[in-house]
Amino acid sequence: MSMTIYERDDRPIREPEDPRRVAMARRSLSRWAMRLALREWRQRVLIVLLVAVASGTTLLGIAVASATGGKPNAANFGTAQTLVQLPGTSRNLSGVIARMEKAYGTASVVYDEPITTGQAGGADLRTQDPSAPYTRVLLALDSGHYPTGTEQVAVTAGLAQLYSLRIGSTWHVPAGTGPQAGRAFTVTGIVEDPSNLLDEFALLAPGQLTIPGQLTSSGQVRIFIGESLDSAAAAAAGDVIPKDAVVSAPIPANTLLSAATIVLIVSVIGLVFIGLVATAAFTVMAQRRQRALGMLASLGATEADVRFVLIADGLIGGVTGAIIGAAAALGGWLWYYPHLETATAHRIDPFDLPWAAVVIGLLLAVATSVVAAVWPGRTVSKVPVVAAISGRVEPPQLVSRSLRPGLIFLVAGLFVLFASGGWGGGRSAGYLVIAGLLSCEIACALLAPFIVDKLARLAWRAPLASRLAMRDLARYRSRSGAALAAVSFAVFIATVAIVLASVRYHDALDYNGPNMASNQLILYDTDPNANQYQPGQPVPAAKLAATRKQANVIAAQLHAPAPVELEVPVSVNVPSPGQNQFGTLINLHGQGSGSIYAATPALLKAFGISHSEVNPAADVLTMRGLLPATSGLALVNGDFLVKSPPGCPAGMCVLNPVIQEMTKLPVGTSVPNTVITENAIKALHEKVSPVGWLIQAPSALTPVQINAARQAALAIGTTIETKTGQLSLGEISNGATIGGLLLALGVLAMTVGLIRSETGGDLRTLTASGAGSLTRRMLAGVTTVVIAFLGAALGAVAACLAVLAWSHADITTTFSNVPWSDIGLLVIGMPLIGAVAAWLVGGRQPPAVSRQPLE
Amino acid sequence: MNALELRSISKVYGRGAAEVQALRDVSLTVAAGEMVAVMGPSGSGKSSLLTIAGTLEEPTSGAVLIDGKDTLRMSGGAKSRLRRRTIGYVFQDFNLLPGLTAAENVSMPLELDGTSMHKAHLAAIKALEELGLSSQARRFPDQLSGGERQRVAIARAVVGERTLLLADEPSGALDSVNGEAVMQLIHSYCKRGTAAVVVTHDLQLASWADRIVFLRDGRVVDQTAAPAGPETLLEQSS
Repeated sequence: MSMTIYERDDRPIREPEDPRRVAMARRSLSRWAMRLALREWRQRVLIVLLVAVASGTTLLGIAVASATGGKPNAANFGTAQTLVQLPGTSRNLSGVIARMEKAYGTASVVYDEPITTGQAGGADLRTQDPSAPYTRVLLALDSGHYPTGTEQVAVTAGLAQLYSLRIGSTWHVPAGTGPQAGRAFTVTGIVEDPSNLLDEFALLAPGQLTIPGQLTSSGQVRIFIGESLDSAAAAAAGDVIPKDAVVSAPIPANTLLSAATIVLIVSVIGLVFIGLVATAAFTVMAQRRQRALGMLASLGATEADVRFVLIADGLIGGVTGAIIGAAAALGGWLWYYPHLETATAHRIDPFDLPWAAVVIGLLLAVATSVVAAVWPGRTVSKVPVVAAISGRVEPPQLVSRSLRPGLIFLVAGLFVLFASGGWGGGRSAGYLVIAGLLSCEIACALLAPFIVDKLARLAWRAPLASRLAMRDLARYRSRSGAALAAVSFAVFIATVAIVLASVRYHDALDYNGPNMASNQLILYDTDPNANQYQPGQPVPAAKLAATRKQANVIAAQLHAPAPVELEVPVSVNVPSPGQNQFGTLINLHGQGSGSIYAATPALLKAFGISHSEVNPAADVLTMRGLLPATSGLALVNGDFLVKSPPGCPAGMCVLNPVIQEMTKLPVGTSVPNTVITENAIKALHEKVSPVGWLIQAPSALTPVQINAARQAALAIGTTIETKTGQLSLGEISNGATIGGLLLALGVLAMTVGLIRSETGGDLRTLTASGAGSLTRRMLAGVTTVVIAFLGAALGAVAACLAVLAWSHADITTTFSNVPWSDIGLLVIGMPLIGAVAAWLVGGRQPPAVSRQPLE
Repeated sequence: MNALELRSISKVYGRGAAEVQALRDVSLTVAAGEMVAVMGPSGSGKSSLLTIAGTLEEPTSGAVLIDGKDTLRMSGGAKSRLRRRTIGYVFQDFNLLPGLTAAENVSMPLELDGTSMHKAHLAAIKALEELGLSSQARRFPDQLSGGERQRVAIARAVVGERTLLLADEPSGALDSVNGEAVMQLIHSYCKRGTAAVVVTHDLQLASWADRIVFLRDGRVVDQTAAPAGPETLLEQSS
């Protein structure tokens, strides 16, 4: 027998793959993957759920963001390219309109005469042609028909509710509404401005207000034309457009930085998080499939074929999740959009969505699932066939991890956040913020395995179960690292929200928060009338008396104590109404706190502040804790400090006023949270003048009570203010805490089970060796606590650094007002909750199996 | 040309103190139509010999030739092609894919090789018919008995007219009756020209082979013709 000696050539002879074979094989493998996905759907619930959440929230976010913004130009310009606004008393209006139409083509004209109501926004008496080309989008008929006769009117729903009108009712134009005052009209329909639902108006038939003299100086004529004109062009057309006209044009839409695009970019951050958890899930799935994949390889499947099985699994899970998420998002959107219409005050077409962004969002979610399957597929395809068939799990490679990549990303992220400019960064800085947050999140993901890597070294003195749990975490670093990164991300986002809100809400001068409590109401006096102005007394005495009387009536109706008269210091040195007429607290950069009320004896008494509690030298009393320590402030009633050179004349300005903290003052931006003492008022040579009355009911005001108060205000031509939807710091902090808690606990629930399942063999061995439920509970509990606590601590620290970098503030300013109890709940409470849950469910005895069963 | 030729195969697992010499300078040839049984105590290297012959593992040294082609010079894709077309492997644990029916398990190598689903299915049904399992074609592995599963595994290993069948303890998980039936099946394929290497620890079953190779501590310690069994005596007497 001859023997030929072959020189072994280590280079494999590569032959090109037959594309037809690959395609046929992939079909066959896809069929198998689909069959498995249907048979073992429970194992894929996690992946499908993650993708569904990702795609659902992205789609809902795109819909809400794009609908919230609406068409910002539509409310002001309709479909016109230029808007020319003229006062109601302009001469020869019809001639002006005719000349403009001759020069620029067809024009749509709207005539408005303001009428007073009890609402702060006011209302108009309006004439417009419902079929006019450029203003058609500004008018819609809800019910009934448009007015056609001279005695007919269609009103908005708000006016109908205010005056208790319905179709067929008679409405009388309120007093003080120009020549139309007192006229009676029959209501023929309910109308609205779809682009601005807050626009309240009473629509008269076309031509009703076009006659000269029908509009007062308060009235307005808006002429919409299709040609694009800027101010220069308008000025040049002086013979066509009157010089007192205000010409404006729509702001070009920024499609590149649209709301949908921003949502997509933000969703990438969430998809990174989801990808981390999905990768861990696919890794476990790959290991469970390892034997079957080894069988495939033994039958002649290539490495690419084996990888394809897992990728197909990822695609199936991704598509399923995307479909479920899209369906849920659609359902949620159809339910929510009417509420959004109310909140944004414009009509929303629920199917007028940026569909390209929607499709991209769905594809991104599917791609995340596929990408998450790639690395586990690659890993399992590299397992030797014999090892795979035997069911032996290759021990994890104990690679030495470097801290460097994580630190680089962290430093880069903090630098980008710093460069974004903080509060004054503007819209373009938003991308830098997103990039910075993403970089910090990646840093957490890279640092997490390193932390786990070092963990086992701390375990040598721990009890058996704790030691085993921590070493398992280090051994299965890819899974535990992914879980840790996901938990850190949840806590990172929550902590950023909490700390940012605390910084924003604790700005000493720019006070932010809810305007008042739900049981409070302010009845305001009428706005100062320039014709009736007297230095030091903006509102005539008779008017004041009438408003004061009405405040008492409203208080009685609400069973409230006597109203607190809100007075502002008014300068007697300012000859006409204008800026800084009232006493204002500002800093040396001109940033102000707005008008602040006077600390009259009656006001102090109303809030339980005794005379002895007030520092005789105090100029300002405030409930804002940081204000007394703020330097560079001044009390002024003029714009001296912003002039060049700046000045602070005695008698009109008090530099570095004495500010005393008084926690008994009410919380709310519209209530007297900060007041000027009588000392300061005297120093500024001011006198006080009432501007409103604060009524504090015994309980939260009901919509009926609010409406009744509004009606009472309407009767005397004034307005009221009640609690708006602005959230308090506590509400934001609680919401972020609960959200972060639930997200982190959800991640723990999904990933701890995955990690412990990998060590199922160890658990069976422990049980066979005599370990009881206590040991099993300890294993689950310690695994949970370690991942949760480390992840939360990592996320919280990264978040604090991120906010510090972004806000350009010092440590004291950033962290002095943080509700640390909420952070503590995330970092310490969440791990404890997870540990208790793991303890409760971790005691079950595993099924005793001596060898791997046929699946 | 031999169906299988192993030349001075050695296999070492592990390193340093954990080093294990599974095979030492083992040479073996199997002609077409020949059935060779490999016997030996636990740890003698029988399974390693089979996995190396089936290109599931590479030897530390030596050469493996299948139909005259050196497998060590082949790429991973070429080896996969070999396993799809030439080599059939039968495992002790059957190793059927759980999500596929019996027919689909049998047709899997053909489909992986690019054969259309229809043609592959027809071939699978034919193979199952030969083994008396056509009625079980649509059942999943967990619905079959042990003997039926092993017959499905054998059908998968021989479908497509392969030239080399490698069986690692094919009767290990079966009772004696089924075990005998499996060996009889393999023997019948050998009569059609397929070469077979069967690892077994049962001398009774090994008697079906044309030749028995004994391994101990990774070396071939003896080779002998199979003792005459009842069937052989009957043939001789007729």
